[in-house]
Amino acid sequence: MLYSQTVLDHFMHPHNVGKLDNADAEATEGSPACGDQVTMFLKVNPETQVIEDIKFLSYGCASNIATASIITDLVKGKTLEEAKKITWQQAMEELGGLPPIKVHCAVLAVDTLQSAISNYEIAHGLKEVPNFGKDTIIEELKKIIYPKVGEDIVSLKMVKYVGYNNNEVIIDLNLMRFDQWRDNIAEEIREHLKKYPQIKNIKINFPDAETT
Amino acid sequence: MNNHRIYMDNCVTTPVAPEVLEAMNPYFLEKFWFPGTFISTGEETNAALAQFKEIIAQALNTLPEEIHFTSGGTVANNIALKGLMGANAKKGRHIIVSLVDYPDLLTNAAYFEKQGFAVTYLEPDSEAWVSADKLQKAIRPDTILFMNTIVNHVVGTIQPMQDYKKVLEAADHKIFWHADAGQAFGKMHLDVQDLGVDTLSVSAHKIHGPQGIGALFVKKGTKLSQLIHGVTRVDQLQTGGLSIALIAGFAKAVEMTFSDLDANISYLRELSNYLLEKLESTIPDIELNGPRGDKRVCHNINVSISYIEGESITMMLDLNGVTVATGSACASQGLKPNYVLMAMGKNHVQSHGSMKFTLSRYNTKEEIDYTVEKLAEITATLRERSPLYQAIHNKER
Repeated sequence: MLYSQTVLDHFMHPHNVGKLDNADAEATEGSPACGDQVTMFLKVNPETQVIEDIKFLSYGCASNIATASIITDLVKGKTLEEAKKITWQQAMEELGGLPPIKVHCAVLAVDTLQSAISNYEIAHGLKEVPNFGKDTIIEELKKIIYPKVGEDIVSLKMVKYVGYNNNEVIIDLNLMRFDQWRDNIAEEIREHLKKYPQIKNIKINFPDAETT
Repeated sequence: MNNHRIYMDNCVTTPVAPEVLEAMNPYFLEKFWFPGTFISTGEETNAALAQFKEIIAQALNTLPEEIHFTSGGTVANNIALKGLMGANAKKGRHIIVSLVDYPDLLTNAAYFEKQGFAVTYLEPDSEAWVSADKLQKAIRPDTILFMNTIVNHVVGTIQPMQDYKKVLEAADHKIFWHADAGQAFGKMHLDVQDLGVDTLSVSAHKIHGPQGIGALFVKKGTKLSQLIHGVTRVDQLQTGGLSIALIAGFAKAVEMTFSDLDANISYLRELSNYLLEKLESTIPDIELNGPRGDKRVCHNINVSISYIEGESITMMLDLNGVTVATGSACASQGLKPNYVLMAMGKNHVQSHGSMKFTLSRYNTKEEIDYTVEKLAEITATLRERSPLYQAIHNKER
């Protein structure tokens, strides 16, 4: 068996798995096209900045699930500053090692945690987004996966236009009315962008429907 | 069911039948001699080999002198392909293969490309089926070789051999034709004379024979340049020693499979249909990859389970005592999704969530019941953890 017993235990019985309602921050990294996708949810005490709760979802292999699980264990009860110092090497060590080809799964899980922390900091004014603009928005759109295909909407050329002016974001999506995922995608875009205090309004346009 | 491993990855390799092991035994312990002349030991092996060859020739409806033993299917493919190309390189520079062929053929095609040959890769349809029209359109005046896999090793698609034959016969010059019959042998009727191929490879360990032995059919009069140089012990194409015991086991496995081939096929077909029905009625959001019905070989079922990843599924099934295969990138050493599924136009999610079940005559409906029951539980567990499933499911509520 290539995996350690700790990996198998976390894979079969992961800790802190699921969705966290009323999360203060969340982040999704990876995509099914890359083979793995992780979402993490944080509940942070605004006074002490201690991570009081954390949960994750994973579309991925055993090592992906196991690493995400162990990271949630490592992070719970820590302050944001402490959590920022957690590395994928540390997660791997806790798991008793991973096969070399699976290391990227550990990296992805840690990246997701760091993105979630960063998202929290941005939303709470603890961190400035350097040069916020169109490119920041496009980077966010690249994290939105068209579920059926498992690739992001930018790679799939579903984003026709992105504009940012006077705190307003305008996005033209090449998704037709009969596309069953269209509303999901629009909602996900809003979800991803809501953490940026600079954005006051988001307009999403479709080729054959009124603006939502 | 707990102590008994359920094995459903028979397209990769199969357990040796007990009767096969028994048939091999004396050739390991007592009658281990290589063939020879004038002395009794060598003559006895000569006679035995002739008999084994006859059994395999009969299964393929060909002549014993057209059968060569090799140490497996891959060696047979290499002896045939490099042999044909070596003997005919001066006649042309173009080769035809398809995007969904067995890796043996595709890696050889890549090798020939490096040697300066031009290769056309035929595109399959969404069921991994490669039409004869595409073959016809790909033929050039300098085409010398067409190679194909009779039954696709991933989704079980049976290729239109009769149509290929018509196309190749109608060509204005000779195009050599090699077929890999690894997944077809023992799973459908193969009449080599009727197929029209020049060379064809089969392997023992896919039909409950031993690993490390196979055979190559070479049509009478077909010239192959020598790939493996050395002393001739058993076969002039694969020189050097070949295990007489493995050949004895191969012959026994062929005898057992072909003594009632129709019954074997119909049992496997019944099992596959039962498995597919169970999967489709038990697990939501599941789809069959490849054709349904007669265009599919009798022992292969390949499905994609949406929103979850195949390595996780196979590992959980493994921990429940069931061995199956997946097309997930995570489970492959190269972290690439399955190339056959991708060539069929499937997307990453469908490839990562694909499960391949390949059955043998030793599988039972009880095993299928247990496997599907476990798979349904595993699917529900992994979907609970999946952000893709949660995103869609929550929005549907």
